[in-house]
Amino acid sequence: MRYKILTVDDSKTVRIIVKKAFKGYDCEILEAGNGVEGLAVASKETPDIILLDVTMPVMDGVEMLTKLKSDATLKGIPVMMLTAEGGRDHVLKIAKIGVRDYLVKPFKEDVLIEKVGRVIDLKPLSEAPSKTKSIFDPAELLVVEDKPAIIQQITEGLKHTPWKVHGVATQGEAIDFCTRTPPDLVMVSLSLPEETAFTLFRLLRTNVKTKYTPIFALVVKTETTQQQQAQTVGFSALVTKPIDVGDLETKIAKAMNLDTSQRYYAIEAETLIMRLPENCGPTVLAEAANYLKPKFADAVDAGHNKVVIDIHLLKSLHMGVIKLLFQAMQNCRDLGLQFALVGNPQIVAECKGFEDTRGWNFFDSVDEARASLGKVPQAEQLAST
Amino acid sequence: MPVNQEISEATIHKFIKTSVGDVFKTMLGVDAVLVKGTEQAADEPWPPLHAAREGASPHVVGTVGFIGDANGLIYLYLDLPFARRCTCHLLGMSDAELDEAGDEAINDAIAEVTNMSVGGFKNALCDYGYPCKLTIPSILRGSSFCIEPISSATRHIYHFDCGGHRVVADILMKFGD
Repeated sequence: MRYKILTVDDSKTVRIIVKKAFKGYDCEILEAGNGVEGLAVASKETPDIILLDVTMPVMDGVEMLTKLKSDATLKGIPVMMLTAEGGRDHVLKIAKIGVRDYLVKPFKEDVLIEKVGRVIDLKPLSEAPSKTKSIFDPAELLVVEDKPAIIQQITEGLKHTPWKVHGVATQGEAIDFCTRTPPDLVMVSLSLPEETAFTLFRLLRTNVKTKYTPIFALVVKTETTQQQQAQTVGFSALVTKPIDVGDLETKIAKAMNLDTSQRYYAIEAETLIMRLPENCGPTVLAEAANYLKPKFADAVDAGHNKVVIDIHLLKSLHMGVIKLLFQAMQNCRDLGLQFALVGNPQIVAECKGFEDTRGWNFFDSVDEARASLGKVPQAEQLAST
Repeated sequence: MPVNQEISEATIHKFIKTSVGDVFKTMLGVDAVLVKGTEQAADEPWPPLHAAREGASPHVVGTVGFIGDANGLIYLYLDLPFARRCTCHLLGMSDAELDEAGDEAINDAIAEVTNMSVGGFKNALCDYGYPCKLTIPSILRGSSFCIEPISSATRHIYHFDCGGHRVVADILMKFGD
């Protein structure tokens, strides 16, 4: 649902400032230059909130507000005064007519957004709605933790990613950071003094800029009570200490809804390369399997007919990996793709131990495998499968 | 508080310093530093900014009044380059976009800056016991002009430095009948 915000102000400048302030949010700004126009637009469009000036020609804000509140169909629309009229008595008089909030000019755009965000569920516009962000895109991660060693561990563990880790030790620093540059993800230590983590969580959730930002709870593995509390409150995910950085990376990618397919699939020299990492836990296998069909189909669609399945990084073979490889090979057959395998001595040896994998042939490198695909008849490749 | 009692220079000084400072800091990201109050401004050439001199550069002057238990007008003088800079900042425009938008955009922006500045001043008066209301802003533009008060009005002039630009607040107030 796209929210409608009506700004009623005789100053075009203020109307432009309001428009500018909400540019990054999924809402429509309606404009009126005085109370008469404001009432007309309100009747026609039924906005979700009205930002109303006081001193205006034709009909001022107080008269418009009074008429609005006496109209059965319009009186439910929340009104926020946005005016230079801020004397105590004046504010009290207007407040009695019925306004949701009162913002005295001069005002900061951030404050306006925050106040409006308390009335309507403002959602930031995606910067590039048509393009999914991938794991190769930069992101800003904020870690709120009073133990520098943990911040250091996360920074070190994620340094191979394009993500930038910022560490702060207190709630105040975290709020300042989020106000300046809203991060893409926040990790908060539940071991911060008192109830800081939960207070910070609530503050971030009430701020329109961080309302939808994923927030992870950093918690000691054995602190089950805290973990339950964090889940109840609504933290996006739990990260247990000691931190498994690989698992953290996967959770971050999932929480930020990143396209992780490039971890496993790439087109290199006219060939689709399917590459499995060193450790293939259930999360990795599920991710790789999830992208398998669409990535193979994309390759065919782009005119590629060769696939190299590269598992040379893999430390050991297990049923999950074998199942995924069978699935990949079946896909190749279904789509008429040539394929070849790349492994390491350990994997080759382990394959000999299973009935189903005994006949698999491996090359030592992707280049060798790719070169073989031009020469080896497909039937011969598949004979062992 | 009696309506016809004149408000002290020190009070007006405090109110205008705060209101202009707040508006320029919050809306324009500029520190408006009060460099000369009414007494010190006496040795300054008047009208401010050499606006009345032959061949003077153009100025934009915003005016907003307040009426009620305190009555008066405040003129805010800005030189044109600074008025343009303020407008670009407020509206998020480039110089080229402002050229396209024309003088109307500058007038409206400076009128709003004046409205907010006078609004802050007026709100302080209200809280001080002088309830009053704002009037609608207007703009005066030109390169050779002079605004003179009537004899029954008191005049207070304050010079602000805004990042090297001089902004002058000229306050005319009338007390009593």
